[in-house]
Amino acid sequence: MEEFDESSSAKKTKTIYVSTVISIALVLLMTGLLGLILIHAKNLSNYVKENIVLNIIVNEGSKEVDIIALQKSLENDPNVLKSQYVSKELAARNLTNDLGEDFVDFLGYNPLLSSIDVYLNAEYANNANIQTFSNQLSKNPLVKEVIYQKSLVDMVNQNIRLIGIVILAFAVTLLVIAVALINNTISLAIYSQRFLIKSMQLVGATKGFIRKPFVTYGIIHGMLAGLIAIILLLAALYLAQQQIPELVILRNWFEFSMVFIAVIGIGVLISGLSTYFAVNKYLRQKIYDLYR
Amino acid sequence: MIGNSVIKLEDVDVYQQKHLVLSNVNLHLDKEEFVFLIGQTGSGKSSLLKIIYGDLHITRGAGHVAGFDLTKLSDKDVPFLRRKLGIVFQDFQLLTDRSVEKNLEFVMKATGWKDQRLIDERIRDVLEKVGLRSKVKKMPHELSGGEQQRVVIARALLNDPEIILADEPTGNLDPGTSEEIVMLLRQISQYGTAVLMATHDYHIIRTFPSRIIKCENGIVHEDAKFV
Repeated sequence: MEEFDESSSAKKTKTIYVSTVISIALVLLMTGLLGLILIHAKNLSNYVKENIVLNIIVNEGSKEVDIIALQKSLENDPNVLKSQYVSKELAARNLTNDLGEDFVDFLGYNPLLSSIDVYLNAEYANNANIQTFSNQLSKNPLVKEVIYQKSLVDMVNQNIRLIGIVILAFAVTLLVIAVALINNTISLAIYSQRFLIKSMQLVGATKGFIRKPFVTYGIIHGMLAGLIAIILLLAALYLAQQQIPELVILRNWFEFSMVFIAVIGIGVLISGLSTYFAVNKYLRQKIYDLYR
Repeated sequence: MIGNSVIKLEDVDVYQQKHLVLSNVNLHLDKEEFVFLIGQTGSGKSSLLKIIYGDLHITRGAGHVAGFDLTKLSDKDVPFLRRKLGIVFQDFQLLTDRSVEKNLEFVMKATGWKDQRLIDERIRDVLEKVGLRSKVKKMPHELSGGEQQRVVIARALLNDPEIILADEPTGNLDPGTSEEIVMLLRQISQYGTAVLMATHDYHIIRTFPSRIIKCENGIVHEDAKFV
């Protein structure tokens, strides 16, 4: 009977640690998922913004050399991501393909003008900037007009800001919940060790000596939980990309690894600190209080 | 410290949670003394012991224990005071998840022993003193109640304490085993370690006539007669 008790008490301690690590891992998984969603949302918004096209229509009869020189100067602008020269002929060919009918033949001449398609950097792509950009360009004698979808730019920017704020608020809330939950779980785990802590104090162990192994385990558990969370996050990423292959466009392993490092960091920090404070609580307590 | 006394309390008031439990306590204990501490449950015995091992602070009066001035005792000093005391309590049991040897080793590492050779030597010494040399590798649950209590006493002896505080050390033991434990504690006191033993066991008190300190009605009687 006694022997049974011994093994079950050791088992109980192990079970507490296993469930602590799992709880921390799950909370970290949620935090990590949100981090990944945030990164995907940011990359998606950048992707959309960088695909907003400014059509710079060039005056009739401009020399190709001048147009290409203008394109060169545009490409040197740090706010410009890329540009593409669309000649009159290319424009006609594109339109013919779209219409499925050779309109040049029908009209007898090509009414289209040459243009340069400009794609801007994501950080720069908002209406005010685009307005300044196009105003400056319009002063160029080569340029007839600059065309872009103002409403699209506005819509993209507004939606992205809103989604960003919502996700960020969600992330902060979740982080607070994570801290509270992990702290609670660890407090309970330490509570089960309170008599051991008292015993150590009774034999004359210093607080630091008693705390050290607990905090070390806290840090190891945080790390372990972080690793478990990362494995689950990788699985989630894999599954998501199976379902939505387009997500590959938004993939950025550097940013993902930043999330993974943050997950381990948060795990270690919260687990270590919570353990430290929980042990301290019992270190400060008088023996009398343990029985109340 | 004057002369041989290892515990000296003068006009101490003992508070437990703002309640005055004992007032004007005067108590002294010399080296090599073996003393019983008696009193009904709730008479303040445990609080008095807590003052001695630094779990309660002195608010009035003067107190010296094993060279420590209790009125100037800071939280940092408490562990070092306790290394001069051997504590044998009913609810301060052995760690059930490790062997006798590991139990003792744990206490030694916690109190600053580093050299493994000295640790092993000391463990052999204290187990020899309590007559359990052969049980080094046993787990606590493989020992009888009396043997477990002997290990607890061995643990209390590890740091060569000046005083052993024993709170009901025979509480869970049969009369025969109880006598053996008290005999062991008396023997220890004869080697120079003072022993203060709180007990309710009248049989033991009759069998081993010694000085009796009695807590009663908020007062400590230093030389109580046992009736």
